[in-house]
Amino acid sequence: MSNLPTRREPILEVDHLNVRYGNFTAVRSISFEVFGGEIFGLLGPNGAGKTSSLSAIEGLLKPSAGAISVCGFDIASKPLHARANMGVQLQATSFQQELTITEIIRLYSRIYDVNLTDAEIHERLAAINLTDSINKKIAQLSGGQQQRVSLLISTIHDPQLMLLDEPTTGLDPQSRRYLWDRIEQFRDKGHAVLITTHSMEEAEAICDRIAIIDHGSIIAIDSPAALIENNLTNPAVLEVVRKGKVTLEDVFIGLTGTAIRS
Amino acid sequence: METRIPKNSAILSALLQADFTTLWRNRRSFNMVLLVPLIILVSWKGLVPKLGGVFVLSSCITIGLTSIGLMGYSNAVARDRDRGIFQRLRVGPLEGWTIMSSRLIVQVAMIILMTLLVFIVGYFVDHISLTPAGYLVGLVMAVLGSAVYLGLGQAIVGLIKNPETVNTTTRLVYFAFIMIGMFGEFGVLGKEIGQIATWSPYGTVRKVLAAGLDPASWQLATTYAFLASVGYAILFVVIGVKYFKWENK
Repeated sequence: MSNLPTRREPILEVDHLNVRYGNFTAVRSISFEVFGGEIFGLLGPNGAGKTSSLSAIEGLLKPSAGAISVCGFDIASKPLHARANMGVQLQATSFQQELTITEIIRLYSRIYDVNLTDAEIHERLAAINLTDSINKKIAQLSGGQQQRVSLLISTIHDPQLMLLDEPTTGLDPQSRRYLWDRIEQFRDKGHAVLITTHSMEEAEAICDRIAIIDHGSIIAIDSPAALIENNLTNPAVLEVVRKGKVTLEDVFIGLTGTAIRS
Repeated sequence: METRIPKNSAILSALLQADFTTLWRNRRSFNMVLLVPLIILVSWKGLVPKLGGVFVLSSCITIGLTSIGLMGYSNAVARDRDRGIFQRLRVGPLEGWTIMSSRLIVQVAMIILMTLLVFIVGYFVDHISLTPAGYLVGLVMAVLGSAVYLGLGQAIVGLIKNPETVNTTTRLVYFAFIMIGMFGEFGVLGKEIGQIATWSPYGTVRKVLAAGLDPASWQLATTYAFLASVGYAILFVVIGVKYFKWENK
């Protein structure tokens, strides 16, 4: 949890969002807000609607109903303004494999209208311990290094909102801890962070609030501690407790069920 | 905090620099694409007196356009879509058309390079010389003709998502165009196939190119071929844009 007081200004507002694919409704009228100085976790089993919600927030798909605004800019009517205020880290580090890290940073800095000199690029790479990889191509880096570059690019324009889609999947504990620190630093500067993850440990460690989404609907929304506290006597949760003490994972499985999703 | 939206021209310039660098780093594959029409041009040296310089040049340029539109453009788009590069770009403050415009400009630059190389090799190796107007109009027609093949490449990546299937399909279509188009026009595949080849995207573009290289030879049939080429380009672009998905899921 951040020690700094939370700024109660919604950076992201999602209002009755619906996403449909033909006859299938992936997201059913979900609403939530993410405030400045907050890390908000979106948790859910596979196919629950996390990625569809995130894609709608990123402006990659058009919602069938509802509204999304980032820093007051409606994603439907002012998509460029909304996207200019968000930094996105996708699940895979999707950069041109033929370009060097410096070239990729330069490309994205120009896309976000940020003028960076060679010295500034060097400085930013030094901050993520990658100065010796300055002329390497992205494919030549380890998974952890690629995620660091991806995070650097996502925050190159100092966005108000950071969207992270399962950012620590496949990372070793050191790289994961490093990424958590960077995300918390970002939150502590007053920015808003929306993160999706399957790791309950991660959600408990860094999220200030969590929304559990299942079958396209939000079924619980609160701080990790409050979610545990509120479900201490929930029979569905108690049924799945494994180590005598209710954890966030127990709450998650208790609320979403034990059936394996596709 | 101020919201900074970059100008489209600045974004296009950044994308072009990245796309040209990517093309240069993949130069082995684009060398192969450029080599095909040049190899045919050199190997047809003995046929120039029989077929005519304009026919040889227009055939080679058409083959080059087919290579670039099908093998170069569609495979590059399918590969980058599969890698999620488009998705990564689209979450930024830029219009989707700037991403595709940059890709197309790079391919048009390659088409201009290929056409100039065909002119140069044709002049020095096959001793084919045209009037200045022929070179200029021929170059313009090559760029216009590229709309048919870039459109066809776009239609293929619009209809097919898997990059391996796109690769296989473009090779198959390329092979069919070359075999049926070239041999059909020679008349070795029979009259009916010859007619089909003449009015196929291969035949119409080649005919328009030939008239461009020798502007005095433009006839009513060339106008029909030109209109047919425009029709093919519109059809392919409409299919390509309508069915194109930025992500491969």
